[in-house]
Amino acid sequence: MFTLVIGGAASGKSEYAESRVVRLPGRRIYLATMRPWDQECRARIARHRRLRQDKGFETLERYTDLAGAEVPAGANVLLECMSNLTANELYDPEGGGQEAVLRGVDALLARCGHLTVVTNEVFSGGTACEEDTLRYLRALARINRLLAARADTVAEVICGLPNYLKGGPLP
Amino acid sequence: MIFVTGPLLAGKQSCICAALGISPDEFARRAVRDVQELAAAAPDLPALAEALSRREIVIATEVGGGLVPTDPAERAAREAAGRLSCLLAERADTVIRVCCGLPQVLKGHLPC
Repeated sequence: MFTLVIGGAASGKSEYAESRVVRLPGRRIYLATMRPWDQECRARIARHRRLRQDKGFETLERYTDLAGAEVPAGANVLLECMSNLTANELYDPEGGGQEAVLRGVDALLARCGHLTVVTNEVFSGGTACEEDTLRYLRALARINRLLAARADTVAEVICGLPNYLKGGPLP
Repeated sequence: MIFVTGPLLAGKQSCICAALGISPDEFARRAVRDVQELAAAAPDLPALAEALSRREIVIATEVGGGLVPTDPAERAAREAAGRLSCLLAERADTVIRVCCGLPQVLKGHLPC
């Protein structure tokens, strides 16, 4: 099973995604993609760690090459988030571009139990962007569309509430 | 008229082509896209909406989601684009929002 969760900044998408994953039986792996560049990143990571403490997640950090992540077979994986991973693959010297992201998702789907991916809605702020920004937007938009097409459930989170574009709540 | 809105690069065109079973060429003939770009220069938005509503498929990209632009012209253009979308949605038989390539019907229903 594959769930895609999309939302804007501070929309409650992480909490919603976690609330779905904690209802699944078995091991829970939180696949963290944000590289702790600076104090702000570290504070954001600490906030997310607090949010999911006591929810039974094992944290696995992976900034690029998702396909190489050592995820226990059959575990339920929450990947957060696609916008960071895409930036890492596009801009890191060791990054493999958007194809590395898609290969990684394939590998996860083949290996894990239920996969939940959190991604960002960053496409409604106007169309006037510089070419490099547009390159990133095109890559993330394509990844989002391809993942949404494959997912069983796609939830757009607004003010913490899911708007189901596909599928629905867990039974 | 079918009014289609959604974020940038959301797959609005391919989604509508699939829903209506039409080719990209046919889509190009039957649809007018990026109408948000027409709003800023329009002296009369209701008249523009009226003219556009005579087309079969009208597509606009959502541009009102970010911070208020500091540039007055960009600010006015964004405002006009949002107002135009509301006017088009009012006049449309069907309003569809596409996100991540997935359509959601906000008004009416997709013609089969």
